[in-house]
Amino acid sequence: MGAGVLDSSSPGGGTAANMGTQTFGGACKDSLMLSFIQQLREAEIPISVRYILEFYRGLQKGLAPDLDRLFLLARLVFIKNVEHYDVFERVFAHFFLGKGSWQMPDWEEVFAGKPFQEWLREQLENGAISAEELRTYGIEELLRQFWETLLAQTGQHDGGHTWIGTGGRSPFGHSGHVGGGMRVYGRGLHGTAQKVIDKRNYINYSEKSPLARENVSQILASLKNLKRAGPETELDIDETIARTAKNGGEIELVFAREFRDRLKLTVLLDNGGYSMIPYLDLVKSVFGKIRDHFKDLKYYYFHNCLYGVVYQDLPRTRAIPWEAFVSQGSDTHLIIIGDANMAPFELMAANGSLYIQGSDRRPGREWLKELRAAFPASVWLNPIAKERWSKESVTINRIARIFPMEDLTLAGIRNAVQILGRKR
Amino acid sequence: MEFEGTERYYLSPELGEIVNISISMEKPLLLMGEAGTGKTRLAFEIARAFGINMEEARCKSTFKGEELCYVYDTVLRLNDSRFGSGESGRNVNDIWDYLRFGPIGRAFLAEDRRVLLLDEIDKTDSDTQDNLLDVLEDGSFTIREINHKVAAQHMPIIIITSNAKRELSDPFLRRCFCHYIPFPGPEEISIIVRLHFPDIAEQLLEACLTEFYRLRGQGFEKPPATAELLDWIGAVRSSGGNGPGAGKAVRHIGTLLKRSQDLLKFKGVNQKTQFR
Repeated sequence: MGAGVLDSSSPGGGTAANMGTQTFGGACKDSLMLSFIQQLREAEIPISVRYILEFYRGLQKGLAPDLDRLFLLARLVFIKNVEHYDVFERVFAHFFLGKGSWQMPDWEEVFAGKPFQEWLREQLENGAISAEELRTYGIEELLRQFWETLLAQTGQHDGGHTWIGTGGRSPFGHSGHVGGGMRVYGRGLHGTAQKVIDKRNYINYSEKSPLARENVSQILASLKNLKRAGPETELDIDETIARTAKNGGEIELVFAREFRDRLKLTVLLDNGGYSMIPYLDLVKSVFGKIRDHFKDLKYYYFHNCLYGVVYQDLPRTRAIPWEAFVSQGSDTHLIIIGDANMAPFELMAANGSLYIQGSDRRPGREWLKELRAAFPASVWLNPIAKERWSKESVTINRIARIFPMEDLTLAGIRNAVQILGRKR
Repeated sequence: MEFEGTERYYLSPELGEIVNISISMEKPLLLMGEAGTGKTRLAFEIARAFGINMEEARCKSTFKGEELCYVYDTVLRLNDSRFGSGESGRNVNDIWDYLRFGPIGRAFLAEDRRVLLLDEIDKTDSDTQDNLLDVLEDGSFTIREINHKVAAQHMPIIIITSNAKRELSDPFLRRCFCHYIPFPGPEEISIIVRLHFPDIAEQLLEACLTEFYRLRGQGFEKPPATAELLDWIGAVRSSGGNGPGAGKAVRHIGTLLKRSQDLLKFKGVNQKTQFR
């Protein structure tokens, strides 16, 4: 601790007390931070060792002197996708502020734990919190002070800027300002974490399904398709030298096209109806995996069977015309993900569409055949396991006669990739 | 160094803190979010606030990464070897005369610490992004032709922006600090408007913002963003009259909605009926 903390205005005064807090700050804080990280992991946020080391480096640099900044530091280090913002905020709020219900609240454990008990005893002993104040504090306030003491005690102590000995800026003895509700203390940043968390800005992006199957992306990456494309802009040096030599030193420049990945992939996803609900998580995991591998990747959505219209957005409000969708066909790979499980009349009967406003007269089967003809490289992935297809529904096998169909297992996806590759 | 925004640029406290954390941790800061949230602007403002120089790379889909470090001009050298370098002073025997450094190269070689902006990284291939990562993390690259290693004298402050046209690869994200900038709320945006129009009347501002957020909520293909709002307010003010109009009578709608489909939708032509 720097000289600043031994300032005469320090509430408890004595060096011994400060020494005490310091030693307890280190190891206990580590274990508490680790259990925070553990909770993030339990919330299925992918966290690598690298992040943890970075996080500690940040703490050591004193980048998180208060909860607001701890919130930002942790989010910057751990969260790489906006999809995870919401769940991160909930875990943070739960862990540090005791709010909401991020699964099991282990407050009992924290309160009964040695670090908290020691801290509390010390606060009472050195008069930072009086017994009367303690009674007026809510659990949240107490926890907040506990965390912020810990935070302020690692990190660099530059002069008088730490919490102890800064007189009016000390969070302690300010119970009058607290007024029951939550108040996150922080220089210049009052209440950022709290405000942000309450807004839950990122709830729309939340998709609770981090990806478990690492190898799916590798399998799909094998779809990559490098071809020479674009203008001839790359100087072929070997060829240029050879030709120049043949020309007796008269320079002849030879250009070649670059290698580029030209593969276009369209994914058509059945996102409606109860029949798909049990499979949505599974599908989403594949979904996230394949995103970054392709030159051009588009998603469209449909409901149950296709009736001359697909949608650009998840809630299926922005329709795109069938002709436009089908016309991109010949050089695009198409993956349809759906359970192909529908009432037989939807597939077979003219006017089978469940939607009254749709005016299509052709049965679903016809539309599917047309789609298949338009996309020579197409495959249907079914989340229902292969061996259960005939048990689940008659329509599955009927559709499997139109589209090559595989199930959403690693083997199935591998086969699907091969099917797409063959039709290239 | 502590970054606190500049007088022409409104910096939310949260974002300011994020910039400072990234700088102290020496990590590239990846900013995501829709157009008009001030991602690119931020890099310029950091450079201005610290009074340091900036290197800027506007990414294109044809980039392979290396050209951001250096370009070896073989054609020029061939030309010089055949026809002589004339009065240019280039020495054909010296490859260094034919190497040109890109933004990353310049930022690494500079004597001072610089801000390095990689704008719209999502336009590049994922291979390119991976190549860039190694370079940015190590703070060095190798000039292949002469096997010469260029190492950064001072690690630049790296700001990367992405419009999320395509998702960035996991390894890329892993090595950056990522921040998603949400679209500013009414409070923040009125601060921004006031920075540009300090004398705007309270009533006009309120009327404009109400209409603006109403339009944003209507799900246009390209919802109006900050830049459009500022243009629009500028147009409304300079054309005199009272107020921005409301509902279908919004004035200068062309400054807010740019796509013809959006304009048609605004005027009440129902697109969906045409698709059925």
